[in-house]
Order: sequence, then structure tokens, then C-alpha cells
Amino acid sequence: MEIGLLIGIPFFAFLALLVSGRRFPGIAGFLGCVATAAGLFLSLSLLNRELLINIPWMSSGGFRLDFSMQTDSLTAIMLPLVHVVALLVQCYSISYMKGDKAINRYFAFIQLFLFSMIGIVLAGNLIIIYIFWELVGLSSYLLIGFWNHKPRTVWAAQKAFILNRVGDAAFLSGILLLIYHMGTVQFSELPGAMAELDPGTLTLIGLLLFGGCIGKSAQFPLSGWLPDAMEGPTPVSALIHAATMVAAGIFLMARIAFLLTPQAELVIAVIGLITMADGAVRACKAWDIKRVLAFSTQSQLGLMVFAIGLGAWQIALFHLVTHAFFKAGLFLSAGSVIHAITPPDGAAGSFDPQDMRTMGGLKSKLPVTFACYLLCAAALAGLPFFSGFLSKDAIFLAAVEKHAGWGMFAYIALAVAMLSAGLTAYYMSRQLWLIFGGKPRFDTDAIHPHESGLVMWLPMAVLTFLSFFFVFSLNPFDASGGWFLTYFDVVSPGHSVLIPVLSAVISLGAIVLAAGRARSASGFLSPYEVATKSSKNIFLRDYSEEKRYTVFFLSPFQLVAVISDYFDRFLVDGIVNITGKSLVGISGITRWADRVLVDGAVRLVTNAAKTTGNFFRTLQSGKIQSYYLVTFISLILLAIWLAAGM
Amino acid sequence: MLDNYLVSLLIATPLAGALLTLALPDNRSLLQKFTIGVLLLEAVWCVFLLQGYHTQDPALQLARSIDWITLDLGQLGRVSVDYATGVDGLNLALVVLAVFVLTAGAVSSWVITAKPKTYYSLYLLLSASIIGCFVAQDFFLFYLFFEFMLLPMYFLIGLWGGDRREYAALKFFIYTFAGSLFILVAMIGLYLSAIDPAETAVLLGLIPDTSSATPQVISSVQSLLAGSDIPPEKLVHTFRFEYLADKANYIPGSLLHADSAAVLGGIPLRTIAFWFLFAGFAVKLPIVPVHTWLPDAHVEAPTPISVVLAGILLKVGGYGIMRIVDGFFPTEAFAFSVPLALLAAISIVYGGFNALAQYDLKKMIAYSSVSHMGFVVLGIAAFNAEGFNGAIYQMVSHGVLSSMLFLIAGVIYERAHDRRIDHYKGLIHAMPNYTVMTGIAFFATLGLPGFSGFVGELFTLMGGFGASQIPAWIPALSVLGIVLAAMYCLWTYQRMFFGTFWYNGDETVLSDLSAKEVALFAILAVSTLVLGIFPNLVFNTSQATVHFWLELLKNR
Repeated sequence: MEIGLLIGIPFFAFLALLVSGRRFPGIAGFLGCVATAAGLFLSLSLLNRELLINIPWMSSGGFRLDFSMQTDSLTAIMLPLVHVVALLVQCYSISYMKGDKAINRYFAFIQLFLFSMIGIVLAGNLIIIYIFWELVGLSSYLLIGFWNHKPRTVWAAQKAFILNRVGDAAFLSGILLLIYHMGTVQFSELPGAMAELDPGTLTLIGLLLFGGCIGKSAQFPLSGWLPDAMEGPTPVSALIHAATMVAAGIFLMARIAFLLTPQAELVIAVIGLITMADGAVRACKAWDIKRVLAFSTQSQLGLMVFAIGLGAWQIALFHLVTHAFFKAGLFLSAGSVIHAITPPDGAAGSFDPQDMRTMGGLKSKLPVTFACYLLCAAALAGLPFFSGFLSKDAIFLAAVEKHAGWGMFAYIALAVAMLSAGLTAYYMSRQLWLIFGGKPRFDTDAIHPHESGLVMWLPMAVLTFLSFFFVFSLNPFDASGGWFLTYFDVVSPGHSVLIPVLSAVISLGAIVLAAGRARSASGFLSPYEVATKSSKNIFLRDYSEEKRYTVFFLSPFQLVAVISDYFDRFLVDGIVNITGKSLVGISGITRWADRVLVDGAVRLVTNAAKTTGNFFRTLQSGKIQSYYLVTFISLILLAIWLAAGM
Repeated sequence: MLDNYLVSLLIATPLAGALLTLALPDNRSLLQKFTIGVLLLEAVWCVFLLQGYHTQDPALQLARSIDWITLDLGQLGRVSVDYATGVDGLNLALVVLAVFVLTAGAVSSWVITAKPKTYYSLYLLLSASIIGCFVAQDFFLFYLFFEFMLLPMYFLIGLWGGDRREYAALKFFIYTFAGSLFILVAMIGLYLSAIDPAETAVLLGLIPDTSSATPQVISSVQSLLAGSDIPPEKLVHTFRFEYLADKANYIPGSLLHADSAAVLGGIPLRTIAFWFLFAGFAVKLPIVPVHTWLPDAHVEAPTPISVVLAGILLKVGGYGIMRIVDGFFPTEAFAFSVPLALLAAISIVYGGFNALAQYDLKKMIAYSSVSHMGFVVLGIAAFNAEGFNGAIYQMVSHGVLSSMLFLIAGVIYERAHDRRIDHYKGLIHAMPNYTVMTGIAFFATLGLPGFSGFVGELFTLMGGFGASQIPAWIPALSVLGIVLAAMYCLWTYQRMFFGTFWYNGDETVLSDLSAKEVALFAILAVSTLVLGIFPNLVFNTSQATVHFWLELLKNR
């Protein structure tokens, strides 16, 4: 009942918003918020209850698929998280999206997303997860491409969907192999069934399932869609591409953590580290305010995946939760900045309200936004007294513990992770300085930045509040006594003093470095990098050339598609045409032979040839009716035969 | 009473309709209404059919068999051709699908302006042949209907098609005709090798007539046959599916007897016959590399004929493989399931890549059909319940979806007479409803859960992975098909529908969907949704028979 309501409310809200059309733009956001608040209330009431529903759905042969949903400790964490962020983001959107013609569609899609996301969380077996997984992909597609008049937006949406599909193909293969080997995909039955499986197959299955996570959580090598997904409305980025959807991959891995063999875990950890380092380095170079955050999200997801690889899925989940709040806070604050410096008459000419090179000096103009941005950034950078510090350190401690299994590699991995965390502090300082520090670099005559209203900054403030240490643990330096890890019965990963101190020192060092750079003559901007009206941006933002937006960001696909098209047209069909032509030739010869040699055997062959030739002639001389008549007569004869038989 | 004639009525109604159209005045709208009426009557028969059908019973139901042709050939025995029809789990869903798709095709036939009388008459003739093909339970009868589909189809493409219609029609005809010659050869071989035990019993004087044939009598005739104790002139050769499917009915020492040592060029005759039959149906399905008639035929065919062609005609191929190829050559089918699965995987991937490279919307959809029908073959090759049920489901699903896709291509073609994908941009601004409908069709095609495409792919793949005789990399390769489907669908969607509105021609012709079109699309969209959410609607009809059928095949 509760479960039905949890997924039913967003679904019916979606339908209602879609059907209502554009008639009630004023209440669309309000309806969305109410629906989500109801969902939040419900999910809080389910905190300590384990429910399970199994509705027989489809069956074929020996395999039976139930529509299965369950609540347990994992859902107890995820459901409130998803609802809280969704509620705040929708509240924010009411103001942010005001005046948009298709506002009902916007809120409808958000509800569709919630429906699918809650479905993933509640799913009781892998196929149900997969189903909602794909639906999340759909809602992400619809929301990224919400402003569908811009070709780049739709292209980004499509890129996200297809790269996710690549991961999903692996995911689906893993599920199907699991069905073949174990006969079930039910989470409640899998642990018992997996004992008989040989470890090699289990490793393969685990890695294939991880493919789903690679797509959805933007891991190397499928991470390319996440920065492009920033084309969507900013609140969507906060909800889907920072806090919830991209975390679904982590959630999935937490769900199936018991299936992962040590070999699989090692591969997962390596992928996570590569993703983390790659995202951190790219974030240092990006100029688009949202792309910096997107790369940062990629990097943090990498850290979570690394934690999964360490076997510490509870800690990965912990970081997922802390990250969800401060990253959503950052995105909403970034939205507030973009909102503030967008020229009143819409994006005019070459001015790009998301380019940090045309910002600067906004600290005094947007004090609330600045405060939220600063505090959330501190949490992201993992500074002490913030939630990010707690969860990040827990992961580092788990890496130290892994020394027992991995030997030296554990320390190398730890070093990479800590250095990437240092980069995080660096690029966030850079971003803060570029946005808020120094003097304004935008046209101060045309643009008058203003702080956004209460509806917008209240959600930002709430998310900022949720980024402090006391939300999760009363001890600001150690999460092991906090409620989160206690809830999952995590045995304290040791009380190292060294690690927290070291990570704090690295972060602070990176900030000092950034401050030094900021104070230097050119700051973070080299002269040629400062955007002028004529200059082009470095990152891919070329509106003039629409041809670029092909589906072929996977270039091997293009090659194969073009080759197979040629192959089909010239070789496969070519053979057919040559055969056809030679048959015509042969029939010409036989026809000649018929005329010259009146010979019984030859006549038989030529008759056949003639019939073929005559087809065309009858077509043109209007003898269809006669053909048709013959056809009919024979059918009527058949009918008579039948009648006689009856 | 009605039950006795129900299946025959399904064939006779459109046949009578075809005849009646000739008597009607040459009025387009009247003829169309009449045709739709005839097909709606068919739909009524379908309702009775579903009502009279027992889903738990795996056997042939509502069956009817009448002696049709019996010839005494002296020393060569007797020829017996029966008019035998009936439905079971393998064909019931396809019969219903056929009526559904044919109705949709008739409704969308408003585009036909020239020679309406001939058109609708041929259309109904085609309808009768297709349904006949699905319900026939005698190979001769099946073959008759199978061939009969070609003729109206040839004219429907050749007379009402596009610019290169004559080339396309002839290519279609010759291609499929060549395919059916393979079937004919194998059919003759089967006919020479198998007997009708009931009629043989009558001829031997064991029973007065076939209706009193009990299992005991049948098995005693079969043991007589096994001991070669029946003189050749007393053997009644048969085309009946049920007899051809039982190896006990094969004459010892005949060409296609299970233990036959007959070889041709070092290859056992049974293997050759298997591949002949398979090749014949592979053309129809179509499977790469014998698929090239399909893109041409689709591109040139008028919209409603494309709908019928993709929606139901291709399914005859899949059905034929299941009923005939697997039914008569189960050992061979099982032994060759790896090459079959490989052909399926190649079709899926190759079709997907080719769809990606197309600039012609109809060609893109045609290649996507090749890709999706590959899943049907994969399910059949798997030789397990998931695979077979999945294959039947996938045929039904693809029937609905490809109809929708070709109608979508038809909408734009009727307005602008231009099918080039790159000649349109930003259609969402001019045709918002059309954009929504296309979006639904595309997402359903790329296998989004909730729509039918997903279930078909899921179960055929599950069958593929679950078949221990097939190495896992083959179904894994097929999974690539779902990535490719997302690529060609979304890319086409992006190119045609989004961005700034632009058309390479007169933009004013691009008006949004009419109410009639919206209704038609809505019905199809709802159908694929209903099938996707309640897949048991199809599985329940096929389940029992598939289970029974697999047991039967595996025990041979």
C-alpha cells in the first residue's frame, strides 16, 4: 500500500501535469511540490519497516518475473534523500523557471523522473531495477533536452541516453547471465543461489552489472555525457545530474555488493580512481560554471565507485548522501548566479551567462548566494567541520584498511584519491575566485546582478545547512560514531589521526596554492583567455555548425555504419542485381533458342522465361484484370471443393 | 456451431469481400469503408476465436479438416491434400495481429486515389491469403496461400508505389518467389516421404473412415509402416502438418526418413531439406544476407502496403520457421542452432548499423525491421520456452511498432513527398502532435520498458543466453542491437524534429496531424503500451503450446 503510493503519487502527478496542458502554469510547480512532500512524509513513515510486495507479472517457461518491490535499510536512506532534494529543487524551480511556456511539461518530467528513481530504489529484483533504470534514462533525456529549440541541447540529451545505453547493454547481459546461471534475479534469493557459481563467472557477471553503473554514474570511459548534460535547466542538473540519478549507479552497486568478487572489486576500484582523477583535472580547466561542477560530480562519483571497489559500500553510500546535499546546493547556487547575470532580454549575442570569464566581483551583489556557494564548496573540498570531510575520510580510512588485501596498491590508490581530493579544493577555490572575487568582467551597464528571491535561496540555504558535520556526526573529525555508519553497523574503520590530518593539510595546501594564483598578476585568467565579444570559447560551444551534432561521438560506430551501408548496397545487393541481370540475359538466350529450335525440352524452359518477361508486359497493357480473374477462379474452385466436402 | 466454421470464416470473409468490391461502384470512400467493415467483421471473428480458445490446451483448436484432393497414383500410392485449418499457441496471436494490422492498413489507405476498386479488392485478397497462411494446417494449403500473398503484393507495390515501383515490385516478387521454390522442393521431398496414417488405415480396411481413427489404429499403422508391411499402392501420402511432424509417419528408406542415409554431395538430404526450408522463410523474414528486397520494397510501396508488409507479412517467415522448419526437422534445427543464432545476431547488428547510415526515413525503418526480426530468429534458435515465447511476442510487438513507424513515415511523405531525413529540421515547431507520436514510436522501438519492444527483446535475449548449446557471446553480440536502436532512433529524432524549423521545400505543406491520424496513432501507441505492461496477454496464448511443442521436438 505504502509502496504503491510512493511510486503512484509521482506517476499520477506526472499524468495530471501532462494532461492539464498549459492551462494552469501557476500551480504546476505547487502541485509538484505537494506531491513530493507527500512522498517525503510517506518515506519517513517507512523508515524502520521492511515491506515486500511480489505481484506476478510475466512468465514464460520456467522463468517467472514478479513485479517486486521492497523496503529495507538501503531504501530508508535513499527515499528520504531523493524526496528532500526533489522537494527543494522543485521549490527553487518555481521561481527559476517562471515564465517558461512549457512549465507544466517541466514539472511533469520531474515527476516522471521521481517515479522512475523511486522505482529503482524500491525494486526487489534486477529486472525491475533495469526497467526503472531505463525510464530514468528517458526522463533524463526529456529534461536535458527540455529547451528543444537549441540543437545542442537535444544533442546532449541524445548523447546522455546513448552512452547510458552502452552501459545498459552490459548491465542487461549481466542480468541475463545471472538468470541463466542462478535462475533468479530476486535480491532476496540471490545470496543463497550464488554459492554454486564458479568465481570466474561471478566476476564476469559482477563486472557486466557494473557496466550499468559506468553509464549512469558517468564512470570512465562513458563519462562524456555528464558535462554535456549541463545543457539542461540548472535545477535539473542539481536534482538529476548531481544528487540522485547519477547516484543510482552507486546505489545499484551497493545493492549487489554481495555479488562482487575480489577481482571484480579491484577492477571497479581502478575505474573509480581513473574517473576521479580525470574529473578533477578537467574541472581545473573548464570555464563554464556548470561544467566545472559536472566534472567535479564525475570526480566524486569516481570516489564513491572507488569505495565500492574497497568493499565499503556503506561508506560509498555515506559519501553519496553527503555529496547529494552539498552538490545540489552548489548547483542551485550556480543557478542563482546564472539567473542574476542573465541579461533581462535573454541571452544576447555572444554573451554567455555561464562563462566564468565574464563573471567576477559578484560577492557584494549576491551575498546569500556567495555564502551558500562558499560553504558548500568547503564541504565539497572536504574541509573539516563539513560533511564532505567525514565521508571522504571514511573512504580514505577504508583504503588504508585494504592494505591487508591489496598490499602496496592500496597506498598508491590512496595517494591518487587524496591528490584528486586536493585538486577538488584547488578548482573550487579557482571557481569561487572567478565568480565572486576580483572586479566584474561583464558589461556592468547592461547587466545589474540582483540576489534571487526567498523561494530560490531558501532551498540553497537548507542544502547548505545539511552540509555541516553535525547533521551526520557530532564528532567533526570522525564519522564512525555518527548515526549513518552506526545505522549500517559499520565496524569502525580504525581511528587513524594521520589520515584526517593529512587530507586536511592537502586540502588547505591546495587552497593556499589557489589563493597565491589568484593574487598573482593575471589571477586565474591568462590575458588571452578572457572572453571578449569576439573571442570563441575553448570548450565545445559552437552553435553555428549544426552538422557537428551527429550521433557519432562513438566514432567506430560511424565507420562501421558507413562501411556496412556500402557493403549492403554494392556487394549484397550487387550480387542480387547481377544475378537478376544474368537471368534476364539467359532468358533472352532461351527465348532466341525457342524461336530457332522448336524443341520440346527447350520450349519448357523458354515458357518459364516468357512468363517472367510477360509479367512486365501485362502490367503495362492493363491485363491485370485477367490475371486477377484467373486468381479468383482458382480460389472459387477451392471454395467449391470445400463446399462439396462439407 | 460457429466454432466449426470460425477459422474458415476468417479466410472466407475477406475473400468474399474481395469479390463483392468488384460489384461496388468505383467510389473511393465507399470502398474504403466497405473494406474496413469487412476487416472489422474479421475482428468480430477474432473475438469469438479468443473466446473459444482454451489457453491451457496445447493442442490444435477449432480445427477442421476436409478431404480436398485425393488422387490414386497406382504404384506410387495416393496423394491426399486436405483442407485443414486450426489455431494453437503458435499462430493464434499472429492471426489476431494480422487482423489488427490489416485494419490499420485499411484505415490508412486514404492515400490511395488511383483505381480504388482494384486496390481494395487486391487488398482483401491479400488479407485472406495472409490469414490463410497462418491458419493452414496442411503444407499444400499453406503453400497455396503463401504463394497467393505474392500476387496481390506484387500489384499493390507495382501499381500504387513510388517512382521506382516496378523495379521494387519485381525484385520483391523474384526474391520471394525464389525463396518459395526452395520451400516447394523441400515440400515435395516431405510429401514423398511421409504418409497419412489415418487415411492409410482406411485404405487398408482397418477402419471405415478417418473419423474413427483412434491412437491405437494410428500406432498400429505406424508399426506396419516401420516394418515395411504396407504395399506402396496402399500408402496415402500427405501434406498434413501433424503427420509430417511425427517421424513415425515417414516411410522407411524414403528420402527424408529420420534414419535416411540419402546424401547429396556428401550432405545428408535431411540437412539439405532443412536448409532449403530455412532459406525460403529466411527471405521472407528477412535475414541478412537475403534482405535487400525489403528496403527497396518498403521505399516504393505506398504507406498502407508498407504497414502490411512490415507489420504482418514478415511474420509469416518467423511463423514458418517455428511451425515447419523446426516442426519437421527438430534434430537438424537443434544441431544447427548455433549458425542460426549467429545469423540472427548478424541480422540484428548489421541491420542496426545500416539503419544508422540511412538518409531515407523509410529505409531507416526498413533496416530497423531487419534488426528487430533478428531477435525473432534468435529466440527460435534458442530452442527453449523463453526464446519461443519471446519470438512470438516479438513478432506481435514488431507488428504493432513497425505499423506505427511506417505510418509515421507516411505522414511526412504524404505532405511533402520527401522522405529524406536531412531535408527536415525542427518539425516540432510545425507539427507538435506528430513529434509526440514519433517520440512514442521511437522510444518504443528502441526498447524502452513499458512498451512492447522491451519485453520481446528481453525474452528472446533471455532465451539466447539461456540456451546452453549457444555460446554466450552470440546473444551478447545481439545486445549491441539495443544500443544501435537507441542511436538510429534518437539521431533521426534529433535531426528531423529539433532545432530551428526548416524544410527543403515549401514549408506550408507541413501541417500537423489531423484528428483522424491522431486517433490512429493513439490506438497503436496504446496497443504497444498495453502489450508492454501486460505481456501475459500474448504469453498466455502461446505458453501451453510452446511448452508442449518443445517437449515434442526434443523427444524426436
